[in-house]
Amino acid sequence: MNEEKFNRRDFIKSATIGVGAVAASTSPVSIMASELKKSGKNTSLPSVDVLVIGSGGAGLRAAVAVRKNHPNLNVVVVNKGMPSRNATCMAEGGINGVIDFENGDSNKLHAYDTVKGSDFLGDQDAIIKFAQKATEAIHELDYAGMPFNRQQDKTVARRFAGGAKYERCNYAADKTGSIMMHTCLDEAITNGVNFLLDHYLLDIAIDNNECEGVVLLNMQTGDVVPVLAKSVVLATGGYTRVFYNRTSTPFNASGDGIAAALRAGLAFKDPEMLQFHPTGVRNGGALITEAARGLGGKLINNKGERFMSKYSNRLELAPRDIVSRSIESEIRLGNGFGEGMGSYVLLDVTHLGEEQIMNELPQIRHIGLLFEGIDLVKEPIKIRPTAHYSMGGIEIAKFDDMSTHLAGLFAAGETSCASIHGANRLGGNSLADAAVTGKLAGEGAGEYANKRQNYGSGKHAEELAQKWRIKLKDITSGNSKPNELYDLREEFGQYNWDNMGIYRTGEKLEKHIKILDEIWAKYNNLKISNPNMFYNTALIEYLEFGNLILLARCACLGALNRKESRGAHTREDYPTRDDENFLKHSLVTLKDDKLSLSYKDVVITEFKPEERKY
Amino acid sequence: MKILIDRFNGVDKFVQAYDLSIDEVKGKTLLALLQHIKRTQDISLNFTSACRMAICGACGVRVNGHSYLACDTKMDDLLKEYDNPESLKISPLANFKVLSDLVVDWEPSIENLRKIKPTITPKEAFSDKKGCVQTQAEVDAIKKQWDCILCGCCASECNKLEADSSDYMEPFVFTHAFRAAYDSRSKDALKHLKPSIANGLWMCVHCQECADRCPKGISAADDIAMLRVMAMKKGLKDGTGPAHAEAFLKDLEDTGRLNEIYLALRSEGVLANTTKIDIAYNLMKAGKMNPLHIFGDEEIEGHEDLVKMIEAARAANKE
Repeated sequence: MNEEKFNRRDFIKSATIGVGAVAASTSPVSIMASELKKSGKNTSLPSVDVLVIGSGGAGLRAAVAVRKNHPNLNVVVVNKGMPSRNATCMAEGGINGVIDFENGDSNKLHAYDTVKGSDFLGDQDAIIKFAQKATEAIHELDYAGMPFNRQQDKTVARRFAGGAKYERCNYAADKTGSIMMHTCLDEAITNGVNFLLDHYLLDIAIDNNECEGVVLLNMQTGDVVPVLAKSVVLATGGYTRVFYNRTSTPFNASGDGIAAALRAGLAFKDPEMLQFHPTGVRNGGALITEAARGLGGKLINNKGERFMSKYSNRLELAPRDIVSRSIESEIRLGNGFGEGMGSYVLLDVTHLGEEQIMNELPQIRHIGLLFEGIDLVKEPIKIRPTAHYSMGGIEIAKFDDMSTHLAGLFAAGETSCASIHGANRLGGNSLADAAVTGKLAGEGAGEYANKRQNYGSGKHAEELAQKWRIKLKDITSGNSKPNELYDLREEFGQYNWDNMGIYRTGEKLEKHIKILDEIWAKYNNLKISNPNMFYNTALIEYLEFGNLILLARCACLGALNRKESRGAHTREDYPTRDDENFLKHSLVTLKDDKLSLSYKDVVITEFKPEERKY
Repeated sequence: MKILIDRFNGVDKFVQAYDLSIDEVKGKTLLALLQHIKRTQDISLNFTSACRMAICGACGVRVNGHSYLACDTKMDDLLKEYDNPESLKISPLANFKVLSDLVVDWEPSIENLRKIKPTITPKEAFSDKKGCVQTQAEVDAIKKQWDCILCGCCASECNKLEADSSDYMEPFVFTHAFRAAYDSRSKDALKHLKPSIANGLWMCVHCQECADRCPKGISAADDIAMLRVMAMKKGLKDGTGPAHAEAFLKDLEDTGRLNEIYLALRSEGVLANTTKIDIAYNLMKAGKMNPLHIFGDEEIEGHEDLVKMIEAARAANKE
């Protein structure tokens, strides 16, 4: 391919040279001229009406909602790569939302199942609205072209999902997430949403208690670019990558939005609530879908026992948290195989026979071959629980528009915590969350931008940008060995797993806070031995790692002080739920690199807390 | 063994060799191997990846000139495929602008997707309050195309794009156009067909490389063919492409033989062909074109059956 060719991007670059002083002082800002227009009187920074950070299901839905309600507003979705590389596309099972009201199911029952699933840590006002909106979301996605599987009567097909009393998990084969995300992406593209590719969120800028925009790193050039916006939606996904070596989420989901919000003074709600999925492949934690157990897969320890009989009458079909804890118990009892992070038990589906495996579990057979070189038809696969979903996130002030406590800043999807999932998310509710909260945040952000007369001054954004320019230069000027960054990240993942994983104790968490401080100190002394700012992916990995350390410190603080077991949070030293003291949300905030913790009551309206039994 | 990687640091292009023991290579996926090189040998090596399980499309690269999804490719299989070579060459996807090492620019592709308006316009009977109705068979008709993960492997292999990308879009863009146009809920296929035609629908050279290399088993070539059929059915027959297709069909009906002389005349007209006499001369010299065919060909054996088949296909189409 001819590099010299004058292509579209070059054209855009040359067309934006006039964008202003900052653009001229760094190299040309490769930002779409038509979208990032001059903001007028106070400053010459690039600006856009609504900026959406992140392009998973939630971000794309938000962007579309802005365009649909306010076609006069321009919307730019910022992504640190190509928009379709996200965690939404990895969801398999389905999207919850009642569409069949004939058989006794209702939005209220969906809400109740969700509240119960949350172990009563969910905010009930939000959950009741969420369940209603989930129904709307299914119809909207259908109308937007999402090819759901269909029933005989031509309506959307649905099936059971964990913790649900009725069939309300709507699906598109076993690729619901991928298909939903591509539906949303197509809709965004068709509706005139613009994309700013290869830009990384560094920080959120605040002016006079209002969000004035963000500071981005243009990965293609290494330029630090302040961008003004009338409103900003954060939809950057969750933070289960704190368990770096054992998680089902993609490499690039590193909680950048939550970390930036923390640095901007916002609260991180319920950070300790991290969900584990029972079956990830030993090697890295890629997901083996629940269908493997649903069809009769057996969990086997090193004595050849089907050990689930010790833990639950429902054997392998007990809820996710119970199965996860059982597997970890076996490994801790010495009944697993292997050592350290490589420990595992076996999942055996060989008795199903080649035909059924090939027909109904082709994807997991493929994963077995890919990651372990094991053919599920012939032998059992090595599995261990894997970090899967983060229930915690940026505290939401109002569910109806997903606004945060910073005016002009909105959050959606796994990044946000309107506390729909409480202490444990039900299967099928994550895609529903992305669709519902994404749209609400888009409506909120659109409304806000439409009313707002002027952009912020940009003073703070420029100051922040200047700080980052100096910092990035410093980070890339050193000569640490290549592996130091990655070794520290592996170590970080392992410590998190061992001390803050499925089983937690006060003693281990106490120790872990110190370990994380040490890792933080080591991290801050690290340099990247690659001064070339031109698409420096090591630098991005460094920055992502920093965010993960910050979020892990918050999670550890929350976990240490939540002296009870609730949902995904299991304290061996406090094995029962304690509604008297802990029917409340943890809120962690950051000031001068110091974290502080406070609490906020759970909103209870219709459903009185009761023991969670299945 | 040696892993040779095409590098680009923003200024210079060069090839870098990384020495690896066979133990470092075996048992890994191609993506894991790239990560291993970055983590142990060269932190400046750039590539992209996200899900590592073949659903996000981030890690398309080329090995020895063929595109692969790195996370979905086992090194053991590659070694087998290339007969235990001393070295493998890894390069960025072709037909994309290279940003750095194995990282390519996707922005022009998003703009191409924008051209064909990838979302359906649902029929009036449907609404966003009640959704749509559709049979499973109607979903199945477009199901395969929805497996597209935008990894770019098809575009990398596309011979038409390699020859000239100024009048042609990536094959996956046509796949997206097809799935929108062919969706039973859609009331307006023209919305996707017209921009497809305007952006190279008839330029596909039928090399089938896109279908051959798609990690999801999608055939963009088939989707292009289907879009052409839809376009002709809707009466969008202007241009040499549709005329070319009709000339083919006429030959089949007339004699069952492809008449190169008539094909050219019917596709582009007499006037346009006067400039191509030199090509015709070369073809005749090489024995690829028989000038006597201007008087018509002999029918092929079993031509009657062929005509019956064409008629049956037409009848089935009408139903």
